[in-house]
Amino acid sequence: MTTDPAQQVRKRDMTFAGRTRTEIWQEIPSEENPYLAGQCRCHGYDILALAEKRSFAEVLFLLFQGELPTPEQARMLEFLLIAMINPGPRHPATRAAMNAAVSKVRTQHLLPIGLSVLGGAHLGGAEVLASMRFLGANLERLPAEVARECLAAPRPDDGRDFHPAPGFGSRFGGIDPMPRQMGNLLATLPGNGDTVAWGTAFVEALTPHGLGWLGPGIVAACMRDLGFSPWAGAGLFQLICAPGILAHGLELADKPITAMPFLDEEHYVIAAEARK
Amino acid sequence: MSSLPKQGNETSFWDQRRGRILTRKGGWIIGEAVYNHGYSMLDDFVGEVSFFQVLTLNTVGRMVERSFADWLEALFICLSWPDSRIWCNQIGSLAGTLRASPVAAVCSGILASDAKMYGPGCMTTACDFIVGALRDNNAGLSPEGIVDCHPNRRNGGIPVIAGYARPVATGDERIAAMARTAAKLGLEDGEHVSLAYEIEKIMQAKWDESMNLAGYGAAFFADQGFAAQEVYRLLSCWVNSGVHACYAEAADQPPESFFPLHCEDIDYQGKPPRPVPA
Repeated sequence: MTTDPAQQVRKRDMTFAGRTRTEIWQEIPSEENPYLAGQCRCHGYDILALAEKRSFAEVLFLLFQGELPTPEQARMLEFLLIAMINPGPRHPATRAAMNAAVSKVRTQHLLPIGLSVLGGAHLGGAEVLASMRFLGANLERLPAEVARECLAAPRPDDGRDFHPAPGFGSRFGGIDPMPRQMGNLLATLPGNGDTVAWGTAFVEALTPHGLGWLGPGIVAACMRDLGFSPWAGAGLFQLICAPGILAHGLELADKPITAMPFLDEEHYVIAAEARK
Repeated sequence: MSSLPKQGNETSFWDQRRGRILTRKGGWIIGEAVYNHGYSMLDDFVGEVSFFQVLTLNTVGRMVERSFADWLEALFICLSWPDSRIWCNQIGSLAGTLRASPVAAVCSGILASDAKMYGPGCMTTACDFIVGALRDNNAGLSPEGIVDCHPNRRNGGIPVIAGYARPVATGDERIAAMARTAAKLGLEDGEHVSLAYEIEKIMQAKWDESMNLAGYGAAFFADQGFAAQEVYRLLSCWVNSGVHACYAEAADQPPESFFPLHCEDIDYQGKPPRPVPA
């Protein structure tokens, strides 16, 4: 046991910052009140001038990367923001918000609830992060060779889905057609780069095995080509999907609890050992 | 629900689950009982067992002795500091000062504790370390060898071992309190805890770093037969009480009165002003 008096708790000799630093946002205090900002700048640009002259996608890019995007980059980000705007009402993250809504949660909680669920390692933000790292680590290698290695991993034998690499795999036993179509369209956009091209070639090697792009893989490849860091991937994925999650939640917010299924005993099957 | 897949994909895994929920946990049979792992909740639990016994049962599927549940409750008290400088607690304060709901505040604080540095977020690595260390020790590697072989190092070569060292301070006063509680409850240290103390001696002698509560807790849980993922799940709300305290205090004060900042209190180091291109 820790009984030595010499090992008592001591404060570390650490130097903490006197002020929080940022390179993103500058607030110029108003002349009347130092707590109020009279002007705000995003990476040097006046935010109201940006609001007048630039699109949401362009300012989003600026916020994270410090410079405005090229027209091609802005188009690619805009494509992603629209293509992935809604995971759909069957997606567990959306359903979380819908369940909360129909049970009369305060509507300000709908988005955090859905986005928390969307942070997961399976088809969620954590998979986007992992996929961006995977793509970054393998971009210099031949896609077919990497696919061969990934496919050597044991495949689940109980029928569940298989992700040989984060962002790629099967969904409900098949190749998800929506990410596949997104991948095809992305490959035609002038802003796409090495990662989307590499992912497309990787998917070609996976397709004969019933595997393809997954939503997180599309976002990861796109984000990487746009210059976003893997750390940003998880949160940006949540941000991109947020409108759909909120919209579906709000659609049910003023509905009675009967507006969604509540399974009867016949369909809620309690194992015998769980009963008394 | 009668649609069939057009493609030839094998979907029987999902078809078996579609439109119904299968559970081994339990559920509410309306007018009959609420079943929970073979118990009747209202007959067998309410007024009969502790909340932490039920929490453990629900989380890992095993009904534990009251003594262990009391130890677990004490472990939760150890992370109930009402100090709003602590990262997750300050989120409670910030939520309070903006009049977020108490549930949103506490959930946000708990989510913030899912961190690699402290809280439940560091428990799986702490558990994995001590379980692996005991395996190595049983295979002949000494505690000193375990420390020396640890691959993860910080500046100066200090081994970065989950469960050892701690942010802001060295040493951990909570371990003695928990060890005292375990003894009072009649819970004995096992081989994981014993090895954890041996490793602490090496860490103290060589690097002036001690075991932290996560390290002690991980070893204790391992001795009690808990797997890393079970520990992570059990402790997911570990910090909730401290967040409550900080939320309540801030929510009872005028809005935005918690730790306000001047514009100049933020150190802007980014690009200078520039015109927005057309």
